[in-house]
Amino acid sequence: MRANNDSIDPILASVLQRRFKSITEEMGLTLLRTTRSPILNEARDFVTGIYDHKGRMLEQTEYIPILAFAIQPVCQKIIAYFGDDIHPGDVILHNDVFTGGNQNADVAVFKPVFHGERLVAWAACKGHQADIGGAVAGGYNPEAREVWQEAFRITPVKIVEGGKLRKDVWDLVFANIRYDIVAEDIKAQMGGCVVGERGIKGLVEKYGIERFRSHVEHLFDTTEKMVRSEIRSIPDGTYSAKSLVYYDGIHDGSEMLINLKVIVNGDEITFDYTGSSPQTEGFVNAPYAATASAALLTFLMLINPDIPHNDGILRPIRIDVPEGSFLNAKFPAATTFGNSLTGPNSDAIFKAMAKACPEKVTAGWNRFLGFTITGTDPRKNRPYVDILFLALKGGSGGTWMADGYDHIGLINCAGGILAQDYEMFEIQDPHFLIKHEYLTDSAGAGRWRGGAGVETEFTIRGTSVTGIAFGDGIEEEAKAFGIFGGKEGELNSITLRYPDGTIRKVKSKEIVRNIPQETVFSQIAGGGGGYGDPFERPPEKVLEDVVNGMISLEKARTDYGVVINVSEMTLDILETRLIRGAKA
Amino acid sequence: MAYKVGVDVGGTFTDFLLMGESGSSAVFKVLSTPEDPSIGVMRGFEEMAASFGTDKMSFLSSVEIIVHGTTVTTNAVLTGNIARTGLLTTRGFRDALQMRRGIREETYNNRYLPPSPLVPRYLRVPVTERTDCDGEISTRIELADVEAGAQIFKINHLDAVAICFMHSYANKENEITAAEGIRKLMPEAYVSASSEIMPQVRFYDRVSTTVLNAAVGPILNRYLSKLIEKLEVSGFKGVLLIMQSNGGVTSARVVTELPASTLLSGPAAAPVAGIAYTAIHGVRDFITVDMGGTSFDAALIKDGEPIITNEGRVNRQALALPMMQINTIGAGGGSIAWLDEGGLLRMGPKSAGAKPGPACYGLGGTDPTCSDANLMLGFLNEEYFAGGKMKLDRGRAETAIRERIASPLGMDVVKAAYGMYHIMNVNMASAIREISIRRGFDPREFLLVCAGGAGPVHAAMIAEELEIPQIMIPKESSIFCAAGMLLSDLKHDFVRTYHTVLKKDGVDLERLRGIVKELLADGNEVLSSERISSDRRIFRFAADLRYVRQYHEVSVAVEKEWLESYREDSIKDAFHRQHDKLYGYALKDEGTDVELVNIRITAIGLTDKPVFPKGAYMGADAGEFIKGKRPVFIPSLMDFNEIPVYDGDRMGFGHSLRGAAIIEQVNTSIFVPSGFEVTCDEYGSYLMSPIN
Repeated sequence: MRANNDSIDPILASVLQRRFKSITEEMGLTLLRTTRSPILNEARDFVTGIYDHKGRMLEQTEYIPILAFAIQPVCQKIIAYFGDDIHPGDVILHNDVFTGGNQNADVAVFKPVFHGERLVAWAACKGHQADIGGAVAGGYNPEAREVWQEAFRITPVKIVEGGKLRKDVWDLVFANIRYDIVAEDIKAQMGGCVVGERGIKGLVEKYGIERFRSHVEHLFDTTEKMVRSEIRSIPDGTYSAKSLVYYDGIHDGSEMLINLKVIVNGDEITFDYTGSSPQTEGFVNAPYAATASAALLTFLMLINPDIPHNDGILRPIRIDVPEGSFLNAKFPAATTFGNSLTGPNSDAIFKAMAKACPEKVTAGWNRFLGFTITGTDPRKNRPYVDILFLALKGGSGGTWMADGYDHIGLINCAGGILAQDYEMFEIQDPHFLIKHEYLTDSAGAGRWRGGAGVETEFTIRGTSVTGIAFGDGIEEEAKAFGIFGGKEGELNSITLRYPDGTIRKVKSKEIVRNIPQETVFSQIAGGGGGYGDPFERPPEKVLEDVVNGMISLEKARTDYGVVINVSEMTLDILETRLIRGAKA
Repeated sequence: MAYKVGVDVGGTFTDFLLMGESGSSAVFKVLSTPEDPSIGVMRGFEEMAASFGTDKMSFLSSVEIIVHGTTVTTNAVLTGNIARTGLLTTRGFRDALQMRRGIREETYNNRYLPPSPLVPRYLRVPVTERTDCDGEISTRIELADVEAGAQIFKINHLDAVAICFMHSYANKENEITAAEGIRKLMPEAYVSASSEIMPQVRFYDRVSTTVLNAAVGPILNRYLSKLIEKLEVSGFKGVLLIMQSNGGVTSARVVTELPASTLLSGPAAAPVAGIAYTAIHGVRDFITVDMGGTSFDAALIKDGEPIITNEGRVNRQALALPMMQINTIGAGGGSIAWLDEGGLLRMGPKSAGAKPGPACYGLGGTDPTCSDANLMLGFLNEEYFAGGKMKLDRGRAETAIRERIASPLGMDVVKAAYGMYHIMNVNMASAIREISIRRGFDPREFLLVCAGGAGPVHAAMIAEELEIPQIMIPKESSIFCAAGMLLSDLKHDFVRTYHTVLKKDGVDLERLRGIVKELLADGNEVLSSERISSDRRIFRFAADLRYVRQYHEVSVAVEKEWLESYREDSIKDAFHRQHDKLYGYALKDEGTDVELVNIRITAIGLTDKPVFPKGAYMGADAGEFIKGKRPVFIPSLMDFNEIPVYDGDRMGFGHSLRGAAIIEQVNTSIFVPSGFEVTCDEYGSYLMSPIN
């Protein structure tokens, strides 16, 4: 339905858009303040949003982009599932990847918003839970072969009906989840939805339901117009690229192909993944929602970042992912690795679009490699779990006119995820930090260099410790790629040094059991790729990085053609000119 | 005659409020001199002296107190003109300052760069040492590292050194050893150790705050010594007090130990002024807003107490000192209107500033601004802006709005101007929503106190957006902050971290009592140094608490006795209540454990405050102050109407009028929409509310 323009007040549409944004921000703040799991309140791995009566996105606040487009499809499925059995005071819970979810551990709470007896909107909060049942704590199970080994599936279910908590359902769900904080966090998400409901109700009461709806339509239309004009500025054509994912967690040396074709046709764009590898036997698979989210978030980086996030933004975009490929795996595949395929997926998109819009793409981002630790804290005699966010945040790729961002972390999160504060980290986990610093020469050289990676070292003082590695970027070829003459970033690695001196190099996907106390954990999260010929980087900028120990003297000379007088730490302008001239 | 003077240095103007013993008062305004703000300050005193027909010397010798709000430190950080600063920190962690925990505030913008670190990496020197989270020293400090650091700092001619070690809040020994070493080796340098200024857990917050403190120390010292010298040479023998971001003042000597307390102190006096202006009406819940040329500051006061936050940010760097929670957005008279790609109208945050200024200033500005819209709508008077000192150009305003907004949107200029006005109101209302609804307060239960030169034109419409039923516009709304400064008490905050679960036998009572004693000693020491007698000292305690495994704490007011005798239930109950109020739920019935993180004290020294004179009742009829009529756009009619213009400078206690009307004063203009009525209170403030 298109809005009837005669009755539209463009000012009111602006007003609604501003209000929607502040409602979702307010919901986000509520979650930040009230949730228990550090994944939510510290790393901010959640999204809050509001949707219209048809489940179309009105606005969202995404701390983490990968969750950005994972709610609308589920909301629409829930509407279809319950039909007219949706009533004031209901609250619906969901995580299932085979009914629209993006990752099992990301659990969503939906609350329908009513004006009198009429459904006018939905408020939803989705967050990554500390545990979701399945075979291992924390939700990441590289040994899984089917969804049931990964998670307790929650298909759309009412946990609150007409304002009354369904104790039986609630107890069933949480009987299948290890940690009691998950129940508290779901309560906090319900609190976030109440905040959203209150905001929307106020608007509908003030402007009336018909005006509200017609102006929402108008808002969708203006957003659509903005996106279409952005797409129109990209030259028409078909742009292809390939990207590889390394190691399926089962077969050493295995590789999965992402085969991408981006078709730009006037003001429409299609992402076509035909020809990508078939689904794997393990967990290196994605549900459609995760792949689509990855494509969308990368696309958003190529256009004006100020466009409102509502249904209008989706209209000119098509994402085709063949069913049965590892990017859209069939039931009952294990898929927990799905979100982690965002890095390789973005690589393909940037590589393809480099020909279409060279000034908008970035070089490769450091690929995500995480290590989740579970164990017992002997100081409190209590179990603990931690995704080591501080250790996994590498650098982003350089782009036209801007260096990559240091220590930003995986592209799925794009700087929205926070590293733990060191002191709180030691208080909350039985870990003793030795080092957390930028890694010299980790950034890919370029006219605009990549973002620097970090190295982390700490002593594990927990007992019964298990570590779960999941990620990528260990194999030589998985370095963050350079672009337009820029160089690659440093690789990822995780090493365990046991008290007896044994060194264990951890694979990118594996469970390491029985890690003894006093083991030293070391991780390198590599840097991003460089953009443009490093010989074109102003020598003063190279000197600055050398003075600050971000680039070594040697790399300054070999990668950048910049020679520095060591005694005074000044530029040797003549030598520099000589080397740089010789190359030209 | 003994005078008190409040001096508020702003971006464009430096405002002075002079109060005599009898309650007589006068307002002065001079242009600010950003290159050296003390020039503008002294110029103001010259003007004051001249207006009394005396010279600066004899005038200043009769001034007993000057309360000064300064933006020198804030501007230094925003422009990067800070002191050359070095950092000594625990080996292995020297990048925490620059990493800022790896956040990129604009998620999808790959050209968004991090702010420059306050200390470059080569001046962040690691020291071998370590304290663990229980306060045990696991590695003794390597003094050679401190000496090597001093060497590097000296070679680089640094003026300031910050020192921040891991877990120094739990045991400051290593850190103090390093600080003593640096002070001996670099006697000229400004040295700031984290455990001296903020012994509080969270490494990034502490290192960032300590570095900010060190980096602005020499700047503030230099500025204050110059100002004090100038004042003393000119005969000033009184006391100079400085405004802090926590809403209190401090002596010029004490502030040099915590110069970071002046960061973001610009708008901090507004809530204090609000408390004084609203008291006669028995109002304890209100929201103050201050709208100037470029920015809009909003603060919420509940039960007569401003909200304090420990999560400030200045130029995207953490500043974890307790400060007034003030929400500042880019909305002011100079806010520029623009259309986004989808054709939606937006206002700001970019501002035309004072130069080139709004199109109607005729100083070369061509962008349509909020002031241009206000002029087109008749809210501003082209002949009587700044009391007629400045003429506004209607033609230029109209052209700017037509070309940039009205024509592209296919609407007439007036409708576009109204759209601009409306969006401004919505943006400002959103800023108020953030500090109210977002924090669990319903703005409809608050009085809106609207100050600043540009604010009163928008006040009624902002209130309508939020359904706020009553508005106060202080008589001299442009010197609101200067008034607040004269009303502020001395205020100092101290903190200790004590991380423990609150259980029956879960706390170390000796430690708890020790902390209370230490905090009291800190508070007494600073107030003694400011010569505050013990009967004028007030101490307030607070505990930062959270449910076990929550990450963020809630600061809860507690009684000293609760801590000293460990009244577990009283402490927990206060926390459950506060949590419920802020976030809509508490876990009291679930029996969830509560954790203590920090204990805080606020040490208050009561100052002698000036008494604002109350005016005599002048009757209700304001009709005689109508100085003319002019066409003004009335939002409810969506059209112009001839409405009366009142001379506000002649109105006083009791006068009342009904909208639609304009009240004009030299420094501001008030729009009273139809359906609203306005009454002057004893202080000459306007109270505006819808007619029931």
